[in-house]
Amino acid sequence: MTNPDPISAASLDRADSRVRNDESFAGALRGFVDRIRSGDLGMLPVILGLVIISIVFTALNPVFLAPNNLVNLLFDCATVGVISLGIVCVLMLGEIDLSVGSMSGLASAIIGVLWVNTGIPLPLAIIAALATGALVGLVYAVFYTRLGMPSFVATLAGLLALLGMQLYLLGSTGSINLPFQSDLVRFGQIMIMPAWLSYLLAILPGALLLARGWHTSKRRVEAGLAPLAMRLVIAKAVTLTLALGIAAWYLHLGRGIPWMFALFVLIAVVLNYGLTRTKWGRSMFAVGGNREAARRAGINVNRIYVSAFVICSTLAAAGGILGASRLASSSQQAGTGDVNLNAIAAAVIGGTSLFGGRGSAWSAVLGIIVIQAISNGLTLLNLSSSLRYMITGAVLAIAVIVDSLARRSRVTHGRA
Amino acid sequence: MSASMQASAAEPILRLRGISKNFGAVSALTDIDLDVRPGEVVALVGDNGAGKSTLVKILAGVFQPSAGTIEYLGQQVILSGPGKALELGIATVFQDLALCENLDVVANLFLGHELSPWQLDEVGMELRAWSLLRELAARIPSVRQPIASLSGGQRQTVAIARSLLLQPKIIMLDEPTAALGVAQTAEVLNLIERVRDRGLGVIIISHNMEDVRAVADRIIVLRLGRNNGVFTAETTHQELVTAITGAAENSVTRRQKSRSDQAISREAGL
Ligand SMILES: Nc1ncnc2c1ncn2[C@@H]1O[C@H](COP(=O)(O)OP(=O)(O)OP(=O)(O)O)[C@@H](O)[C@H]1O
Ligand SMILES: [Mg+2]
Repeated sequence: MTNPDPISAASLDRADSRVRNDESFAGALRGFVDRIRSGDLGMLPVILGLVIISIVFTALNPVFLAPNNLVNLLFDCATVGVISLGIVCVLMLGEIDLSVGSMSGLASAIIGVLWVNTGIPLPLAIIAALATGALVGLVYAVFYTRLGMPSFVATLAGLLALLGMQLYLLGSTGSINLPFQSDLVRFGQIMIMPAWLSYLLAILPGALLLARGWHTSKRRVEAGLAPLAMRLVIAKAVTLTLALGIAAWYLHLGRGIPWMFALFVLIAVVLNYGLTRTKWGRSMFAVGGNREAARRAGINVNRIYVSAFVICSTLAAAGGILGASRLASSSQQAGTGDVNLNAIAAAVIGGTSLFGGRGSAWSAVLGIIVIQAISNGLTLLNLSSSLRYMITGAVLAIAVIVDSLARRSRVTHGRA
Repeated sequence: MSASMQASAAEPILRLRGISKNFGAVSALTDIDLDVRPGEVVALVGDNGAGKSTLVKILAGVFQPSAGTIEYLGQQVILSGPGKALELGIATVFQDLALCENLDVVANLFLGHELSPWQLDEVGMELRAWSLLRELAARIPSVRQPIASLSGGQRQTVAIARSLLLQPKIIMLDEPTAALGVAQTAEVLNLIERVRDRGLGVIIISHNMEDVRAVADRIIVLRLGRNNGVFTAETTHQELVTAITGAAENSVTRRQKSRSDQAISREAGL
């Protein structure tokens, strides 16, 4: 090995004098501002949006911030939110699934027909609905990878076909009521986490963050790399724990945190782990960023597409099941209207790029909270659905504009 | 040269026979033969569009040949995809680098071959990344930067470092020094000699005849997709240019001639 530089005492990754290694809070803040200015917006727009929305709606109608209204909002978030998590996966590859609404409607119809009409046990009906979702995703993936059909067209066709199947299954009655005393409906309407569990779960993320930060830092030092800036890790953990703790406390002034929302967050945590900490996630980012480069690195690109489309449709089916439990019915209206658009908008508003290669599971969580907050606030103001649609449409347009502008800025600042 | 003497005795790692590649009506390659022995550096030279990159991509599993056979370590193989070639031990630095701009340096180096797939070992990967980059005297400030923020030469260094990751038996470098600085070019040439001495086969494509002559044991000329002669480092520049352009009278010689004519007339004018 030839080394033109004398091996410096500094750790390997701190040898280059051009890098600013400022680990103070001021340094972190400066780095953050730099990132934002170069167009690496991350979660900032959505958090800002949420603050503005809360202020405006609370000013117009104070009920908006009432604990029980927020609890309802969380119930509503879970259904479309789960669908949106799937959308994150396909957007990550620069593809789209326009049929998630229909898929969720079909899943809800399958539950109604199999469970209520035919008397098949609920778990089996749920598995059947999820399996249908997986199959539909597989079909899209085959259309895309084998036949080269753009996902836009394949899923647009799917939108109609799946809606047709939903209407066919529900038949002339058009709507099946689910039994009110069943676990499924109680899960979607009243089941709330006990307070102690909420607080425990509010502490957990911060604790994990600290533990992992400490562990990683130790390993880095052992390996001769610079340690993490523990002060920043601690600050992050404390902020997160405080925010979650206050949220849990506030929600428990009302009914508390719905189990359904907890399930949604659990799925988001799993997806986030998959995307950021596994080889599969790396491959997803790579295929979304540069498909040919990913192929040349030996990644099985087709398998990645299959995984994304299957996850998306399966989660859409899961969202449909949650929707049925929330509404206590399988109806012809399930999955129609703004479900599709809201699911896609949530992912984009949260910062997942339509152009592929950028995104996170948390974008769906934050994005859907924004969307539902708008919808909830407008409902409280007794505005008609026509206005609601227009406003949601405008918000989506703004989100896409922010995404495009940020992308342009990233290109000029070399952040891709 | 003792290295090349020893090389010519050994069995080839890679033996191509009659490789052709058509893109629709265009025959990019016709009936190419090529051998690479262990501990040998083979240079592929030729004009723009001669088919050098196409040949490399066939060996990397990116393209399938339209005809011909590939033998690897004495076995006939079908390089059905890039994954297959990498698995066999054929590593490639592509002319267009094939990096993912949205991922950082570490992620690009390990792309498709991450350590512990179910719980990525970021510390281990970062450490390995630094040692690979040091070996190339890389000037990369931070391995946690996205590729998009690196300069052309830094990207090229990352692509070269990536080819070393999997301990290949043969390395193909498609214009690896085109964007590199003086020190980095020297380091890449050193690297080529080091891996040659470890008994690896190296295929290098370059338009820089000095570099080619400095490291190559054999120089293979492609012209319009066909073999157009095999030369050694001792071949004169004139001969190589003739083989590459296909005529003793060509734009390079004309230009040299006009320059020397100018010089003569200037001297005469004084
Ligand atoms: N994917 C493709 N489709 C169609 N034609 C192609 C393709 N790739 C290469 N070719 C053609 O094949 C021929 C050889 O191209 P190749 O890239 O191998 O040249 P090269 O020798 O690497 O040139 P350079 O020195 O400019 O890199 C060119 O005529 C090119 O137009
Ligand atoms: Mg080329």
